[in-house]
Amino acid sequence: MLGRIIRHEWTNLAADRTVWVLAGLMALISLYGVYNGATWSAFQRENIAMALDEERDRLAGHRAFVESGQEPASRFRNPLSPDSVGGSMGRRYAYLPPAPLAPLSVGQSDLYPYYFQVSTNSKQSFLNTHELENPSNLLSGRFDLAFVVVYLLPLLILALSYDLLSSEREQGTMAMLLSQPLPLWTLALGKIALRALVVLALALGFSLAGYTAAGGALASMDALLLWMAVVAAYSLLWFGLAVAANALGKGSATNAMLLAGIWLVVVVITPAAVNLVVTTSYPIPSRVELVQALRTATEDANARSAEVLSQYYTDHPEYLPEGEQPDPNDFTLRSYAVREDVERAMAPVLERYDGQLLRQQTLVNRLKWLSPAVVAQEALNDIAGTGLARYQHFLGVVDRYHDELRSYFIPKVSARATMTTADYDAIPVFEYQEESFGEILGRVSAGIVGLALPMLLAFGVGARILRSYPVVG
Amino acid sequence: MTATIFKKELTEMLRDGRFRWLSTSVLVLLGAAVLMGMAHTRDVQTQHETAQAAARQDWVGQGEKNPHSAVHYGTYAFKPTMALSAIDPGVDPYVGVSAFLEGHRQNQFEFRPAQDATAMQRFGQLTAATVLQLLIPLLVIVMGFSVFAGEREQGTLRQLMSLGISPGRLALGKALGVSGALAIVLVPAAVLGVVALTLATPGAEVAADAPRLAMMVGAYLLYFGVFVALSLAVSAKAPSSRLALVVLLGFWIVNGLVAPRAVTDVARSLYPSPSSFEFTTGIQAALADGLDGQSPTDARMAAYQQEVLAEYGVDSVDELPISFAGLRFQKSEEMGNEVFDYYYGGLNDTFESQNRVRSLSAVVAPLLAVQSLSMGLAGTDVAQHRHFSEAAEEYRRMYVGRMNEDIAQNAGAGRYVAEAGLWASVPEFDYQAPSVGWVLANHRLSILLLFAWLAVALTLAMRAASALRPV
Amino acid sequence: MLKATDLTKTYNGVAALDRLNLEVAPGDVFCLLGANGAGKTTTINLFLNFIEPSGGTAQVNGLDVTRQPLETKRWLAYIPEQVMLYRHLTGLENLDYFTALSGTDHYPPDQLRAFFKQVGLQDGVADQRVSTYSKGMRQKVGIAIALAKQAKALLLDEPTSGLDPKASNEFSRLLQRLSGEGVAVLMATHDLFRAKESGTRVGIMNQGQLKQTLTTAEIGHADLERIYLEQMHD
Repeated sequence: MLGRIIRHEWTNLAADRTVWVLAGLMALISLYGVYNGATWSAFQRENIAMALDEERDRLAGHRAFVESGQEPASRFRNPLSPDSVGGSMGRRYAYLPPAPLAPLSVGQSDLYPYYFQVSTNSKQSFLNTHELENPSNLLSGRFDLAFVVVYLLPLLILALSYDLLSSEREQGTMAMLLSQPLPLWTLALGKIALRALVVLALALGFSLAGYTAAGGALASMDALLLWMAVVAAYSLLWFGLAVAANALGKGSATNAMLLAGIWLVVVVITPAAVNLVVTTSYPIPSRVELVQALRTATEDANARSAEVLSQYYTDHPEYLPEGEQPDPNDFTLRSYAVREDVERAMAPVLERYDGQLLRQQTLVNRLKWLSPAVVAQEALNDIAGTGLARYQHFLGVVDRYHDELRSYFIPKVSARATMTTADYDAIPVFEYQEESFGEILGRVSAGIVGLALPMLLAFGVGARILRSYPVVG
Repeated sequence: MTATIFKKELTEMLRDGRFRWLSTSVLVLLGAAVLMGMAHTRDVQTQHETAQAAARQDWVGQGEKNPHSAVHYGTYAFKPTMALSAIDPGVDPYVGVSAFLEGHRQNQFEFRPAQDATAMQRFGQLTAATVLQLLIPLLVIVMGFSVFAGEREQGTLRQLMSLGISPGRLALGKALGVSGALAIVLVPAAVLGVVALTLATPGAEVAADAPRLAMMVGAYLLYFGVFVALSLAVSAKAPSSRLALVVLLGFWIVNGLVAPRAVTDVARSLYPSPSSFEFTTGIQAALADGLDGQSPTDARMAAYQQEVLAEYGVDSVDELPISFAGLRFQKSEEMGNEVFDYYYGGLNDTFESQNRVRSLSAVVAPLLAVQSLSMGLAGTDVAQHRHFSEAAEEYRRMYVGRMNEDIAQNAGAGRYVAEAGLWASVPEFDYQAPSVGWVLANHRLSILLLFAWLAVALTLAMRAASALRPV
Repeated sequence: MLKATDLTKTYNGVAALDRLNLEVAPGDVFCLLGANGAGKTTTINLFLNFIEPSGGTAQVNGLDVTRQPLETKRWLAYIPEQVMLYRHLTGLENLDYFTALSGTDHYPPDQLRAFFKQVGLQDGVADQRVSTYSKGMRQKVGIAIALAKQAKALLLDEPTSGLDPKASNEFSRLLQRLSGEGVAVLMATHDLFRAKESGTRVGIMNQGQLKQTLTTAEIGHADLERIYLEQMHD
């Protein structure tokens, strides 16, 4: 019987021209979204490749200079000096390659830098970069597939099912149908099943098509499946809401208003309100305070540089060759010591930003369950690797690499060593270690549960109200 | 007669639970957004003022040192915040808050507030501007979609028209009814906002902000007028109120959600901006070899030295009556500035072209017009950020020039240390925000399109009303 | 086949149907007469279990409709004042859908077409979209559904109101044929003439009560009208 209803609904739906128009429109904007995402990913890849080319040529040039045995022209740009090389000339790129599914969701990736020029300098000197972008564009955000899924797909679902039962009642066919030995829930289920099949076929089909078109590898199929699971759970939630609204037995116009209202609250108002609550509860001070603090800390450390220097080598005996004492008047060594002292002094200041951001994120993690749209968006970003979590993971990797570079160069500086070609070959190379899939899976699964629970609730409540559905009157 | 219709419409609307519920929510959201926005703006203003004062203090209190060290020591420009940014923060979260002003290079603005934000940022902050641009039009649609279509379905339209009312008057009465109901929501909100803003800002600034605020109110009224007229037109034309609602909601979605994002990508593909990598490597290359890539800095500097020597009629720099170091610094500065002007100017022009595409796209979505106008009047658009960054750059060039001048005039052979008084002789960085006229001229396209939208919507409404049939 | 025992339905304390006792045997055509609001439609809705009774029982083929709502509907066919069909579908597709939902075995198209012929719809009509149908044609599709479903009882709610006399007459003949085949028919109607013509019994209802039951063979048309008006006076 269910199959019969589904087939009948298909005939009915297929006869409606607006459905085809809507589906076509959806297809078009989905592909446009993927195209935009793919363009952005390609742009990032291209820049990373250019950066790596530049790095290779630059280091090869310096190495060739060392090989030639020439005398350096300038004390400040000396390929033989580990200080010059580690501090600027031999800087290397640490980069976050776009994840395989990045074309599907731009997420936060247009706000975060995706490569840094890491040197022995302080992190502050290289972390504050960003891609050049028109602020107006950042304000509006990108038109990517995730936007289509989170904002527009619910509207397609609601357009298809806001009058699921009410239209039958208004046409008068409901009484004809229910004079047959047909349970109402079977009818509702059959109707919703067909629509869900159509919408999911569209949404998942375009995810897959877009992914393939964007050059997705088969190896990341698991991520794609996860993406589809999120899209399916989110879509079914909206179907559940449509069923529940229809079960109330009101007219189509009322259903439309009710569901549009729910959409507005879930997708537009709640996220914006949560954002307001979060930023008001834990305001992040303007970074102008940081600028000033940095300056003060630097001056202070410079004033105490002799003391700072001895402290530095007490803290880092590994930087100094056995039995040697640092020259307290060595300007270069002092600058390293000052740098570290400034970093230590800045740690609590930076914590005010990072800590506050962490507290914001904790609150977001708690409040996001209020809006399935936020849950879905975060899950999609996580899968696409364009969310905060992967970025912070990247910062961690960069941090370790930064330490690695310092541990490589600073002992050479302290020992007043000269860079040899072998030293050039041994400069640590950045390698990005991807988050484990298990970690992503863990976060996304929580999101899927967070979507599935309200979905089941909506269907449950719908089924319950359906029991006292007013067939007549 | 119009007054009677107006009264009936208003009474009906006020008795409608949906309207009461919706308008109360919108009012609460608007109030919350304004208050939070003001608290935030005040915080940021204080932080900026403190920071700017501290930066000046650092500069003045440098003690005795070589002016070129001072140039490297540099100072900071912090972007001030206008009081009206509490209503529309515009692009402020997406532009850096400070730039380091030092010798030899023009630095980008650093620290975008949005980088210190959670993923929620992308859903948009609940600001007064969001409420005004997105939610109020929705309220208008909900109030307006059934004004004709609903009466037709109830059959009351047939009775009304049998009384011999002119459709034009009927439409006018209904338009006033919707606007009146809207006024009930907006007038208290506006009064609250103005009072709060006045209390929160110093007197002189209030006077400066008043015309901007007034024009902002005007812009939003035009925008709401477009929606009132469109709702009426669609309601009169649509065969059923359900269809009217669907059409209007569709327009709302395209206007508020789809168009702004879609236009981002269109503008980017029409006027691609360079990547940060290309931009910085380009500047580096040009600094080394000139903009044409064939005039190495060293060669140009050598030529300049010859020029100076010839001018003074001497054979070596030691014989010059002034310090050549100062001249060399300044020349190198000027060569650099040429490069920066070219690259930053090009980048900003690209952004401007992109923004022009955005403004033009208001042909499809009036939101884009009112958004850019509103940001402009709040002082939070891209153009005013550019205005500020150019003023900061001008200040940088001015003070670096003075330092170089001092070196040229006073530095002899050997180590030169300037007196501590030199720093204070450099005037403080005092940024003057552009005038309202400047802003309006910038946004004339948006203003024009907003008026055009209103004209078109009114014409449509009038036509639809005069062709009104009761069945 | 259809049996109401003390069947009662109240809305906010007002009885829309007051202790109705009624039995319609196979082959019977029972016509419920009465003004608007007399309780005729309520009776039919109760048999369909569209609304819950406040008291008493409605039985179809010996089964209580509230306890076995689906089983009892297998025996029932319902024809409202206006048979509503899916506009985008053809008559045949509508018939196919409704009979499939009724749980009967799947009919091949030829056989479905035969039902159309049986109810007097011309060839070709079956393949037209329902949106082109007249009201009479729709009512006939309703009968065709009943035929295909092999219903044992027919519930008709003013099925002929608004039909032209010829269509109305054809419809009555179809009913007679069905009752001849042993179908129990319960029909709510305003039309005294039609009730006398096609009914075997008539019941006169007023304010939720069944006032009087008459056998049509035993009375003339004028008598029926007189008795009806007398009952309406109260």
